[in-house]
Amino acid sequence: MRFDLDMPAWKWPFYIMVHPFEGFEDLRWKKAYSMRVSMVIVALFFIISVCEQLMTGFLFNENYVKIFNIVPIIIQTIVLFFTWVIGNWALCTLFDGEGTMKNICVNTAYALVPLLIGKVVNIILSNCLLRTESAFITFVGYLTILWSVVLLISGMRTVHQYSIPKTLLFMLITVFAMVVIIILLVLLVSLFQQVYVFIYSIYTELLYRFSNLEPTALILIFIGVIVVVATIVIAAYTAFEKYQLKKELQKLKS
Amino acid sequence: MPSIKRIAVRAAAAVMASVTLFTSVAYADEPYDGYNYDWWGDPVPSQNGYVVDKVITGSDIGVGALNEPGDMFISDNGDIYIADTAYKGTLDSSMKGRIVVTDSNFQHKTTIEYLDFGDVQDWVAEQDNALASGAIDDTQYKKVTDIYFDGPSGVFVDEDVIYVADNSNDRVVSFTAETDGNGVGYGKVITVYTRPDADVYDSSTTFNPSKVLVDAADNVYVCIKSITKGAVVFSQDGEFNGFFGANRVEATADVLLNAFWKLIFSREQVKKMKRSVPVEISNFDIDEDNFIYTVTESKNVETDIIKKLNSAGTNIFTNLGYSENTFGDYLTKYYRGQTYSSQITDVDIGENGTINLLDLKTGRVFQYDNECNLLFIFGGKGSQKGTFTTVNAVESVGTNVYVLDGRKASITKFKQTEFGSIVHDAITLFNRGKYDEAKAPWEEALRRDSNYWLAYIGLGNAYLNQGEYEVAMDYFMYNSKVGYNDAFKGWRMDFIRDNFTLIAVIIVGLLVLVYVIAAIRGKVRAKKRAEAERLFKAQNKGRED
Repeated sequence: MRFDLDMPAWKWPFYIMVHPFEGFEDLRWKKAYSMRVSMVIVALFFIISVCEQLMTGFLFNENYVKIFNIVPIIIQTIVLFFTWVIGNWALCTLFDGEGTMKNICVNTAYALVPLLIGKVVNIILSNCLLRTESAFITFVGYLTILWSVVLLISGMRTVHQYSIPKTLLFMLITVFAMVVIIILLVLLVSLFQQVYVFIYSIYTELLYRFSNLEPTALILIFIGVIVVVATIVIAAYTAFEKYQLKKELQKLKS
Repeated sequence: MPSIKRIAVRAAAAVMASVTLFTSVAYADEPYDGYNYDWWGDPVPSQNGYVVDKVITGSDIGVGALNEPGDMFISDNGDIYIADTAYKGTLDSSMKGRIVVTDSNFQHKTTIEYLDFGDVQDWVAEQDNALASGAIDDTQYKKVTDIYFDGPSGVFVDEDVIYVADNSNDRVVSFTAETDGNGVGYGKVITVYTRPDADVYDSSTTFNPSKVLVDAADNVYVCIKSITKGAVVFSQDGEFNGFFGANRVEATADVLLNAFWKLIFSREQVKKMKRSVPVEISNFDIDEDNFIYTVTESKNVETDIIKKLNSAGTNIFTNLGYSENTFGDYLTKYYRGQTYSSQITDVDIGENGTINLLDLKTGRVFQYDNECNLLFIFGGKGSQKGTFTTVNAVESVGTNVYVLDGRKASITKFKQTEFGSIVHDAITLFNRGKYDEAKAPWEEALRRDSNYWLAYIGLGNAYLNQGEYEVAMDYFMYNSKVGYNDAFKGWRMDFIRDNFTLIAVIIVGLLVLVYVIAAIRGKVRAKKRAEAERLFKAQNKGRED
């Protein structure tokens, strides 16, 4: 039993970092899950990844920094994090996992802390070291990744109260779940794009037909047409429903 | 009355207008845009290193139109030898091809129309015997003893002796140029190199020589497109010596899989498998130091596009790491149903070891220095002066580069621009290690073209040599990792040496600070923990088990 666990929320990630196994248990026992701290960690994850791409020394920078594109970094950090959380929650809830979405989110974020520290250290080291001394950077990189993975396994185990093999299995399946989520998202986006293109082509078609009209007027007409069509559809549907109801009432009467 | 000011303004305007008018008249553009590659491997616009000087056709030489000329050679004294491959002669209906010889200004010297076997009666008698004994058949006999050429596709000159790869006649002939009583040029044959009768030469393989060259030891190298073992080597008197300089097999997934199955399969099964053979060499050239450079035209491979072979057949570029470089265009482009990737069809070694590679697909010449740094790209596809349809050969003399176009049946002479000469000066000094002397031309090159990658490396090295590490680092940044590494090493050493006391003080201070903080925190923590334990016990008093 620990007596000194009444620490502020921001200290918990560091405490967990140096106590990979009992740290998460303590967090669970103290119910000290802090959404605010975990969101700060995710934000830092993003910011440090940007810094990694831009500020890593030339000798160790393998990125194409000639053109800086933030979208891949957002996907590699923020989107990846939340798909992991959602995927893991969606799966483990079905398989006796005890973690809520919030708990999974917080545990995953806290597990990232060594990785972030490693990245910061490597950014600094890469500006001080020569190519022959690259072993230090590789060492720090691998060590912190390993550390984070151990923390993640421990965190997932604690939050769901699984055994270690079951945790590993479900982490693996979570990766598949993430792939599925991303595929569905891409599908959805392309679908909406199709709808957008459809509406836009109707708009341009109208623009050609009624070229004497103002575009704003055209938009108003367009919206008006949509409203009218929608009203007709709704009216038809309600009429149809009423008719069904009537039929059923007659049936009941007879 | 107009004021003086107004007159002055009008005069100035008139002068400016005339200046713009005249400069725009004098302005001429090349049909291709100069470009180069930067550190990232992206194409960037660049100054032209070579521009078109003139285009020479057969009628300019005075020999009538050329017909798909296949090869060109420029001898040491500047004479130009053109293999006019598909030329239809008037002497005989079976004759196809001739060798046109001009001097360095494309003034016609002579044209070799037929061959005279007068000096090689022994060899002819040998062939007669072979025909009588049935060792060679009638068609073969007619081919090798034909007095006319049949599609000569390669020509090489060693002093006065001309070597011609007589493609469809299955032979390479060496001869000296003579003129007969009618004023028609002919070749007095010295040696005929025919299909080797050796066991190593596969009996099913044809002998259609496409290119030929001779080294300093008078060995004759024959490039044959159907042979993947390398060039066929003959001694001077026509004896088969073996093969030279085969390409490596590219380690594709297919090849690796084959190698894996070979471990498992039985010998019979292995025999039935598709064999992994390297791609044949398609052309070669020899430099002053007797190194032979070979190129590979196939667009499906990336290994051994260019090799520099010593006399033992070892590729020197492999050890130097240049074999890993990309030669030709970096990108494979798909445009309007056609895939464009470089196919290097000819190589030429110019002065100071510059390597000119000719790309069949894009019609461009890629010029490299002797350390395989890309200097210039010029030429292209098209129908204007300086662009090509089907390029066949590249040669260079001094600062000029000549490109032979088969379909257009013309030779295009490129001359060096001022920018080109500056860069050549700089790279020559640079490759000799004279970094400081190369500084001025590199700076001039950068002033003219700030995209020129090599100039940054050159200047970086100059400053590194002078010990100005910080400037060198600026030049090497995103231009050379090796250079930056060296410059940074120097800079770091200097930095530590200059600030050693400060650094030492800071480190000691930090250590002391950490120790003090740790001590204080330990005390506070112990106190807190005792307090928490006391409280906990007080709360749970009487409830202990």
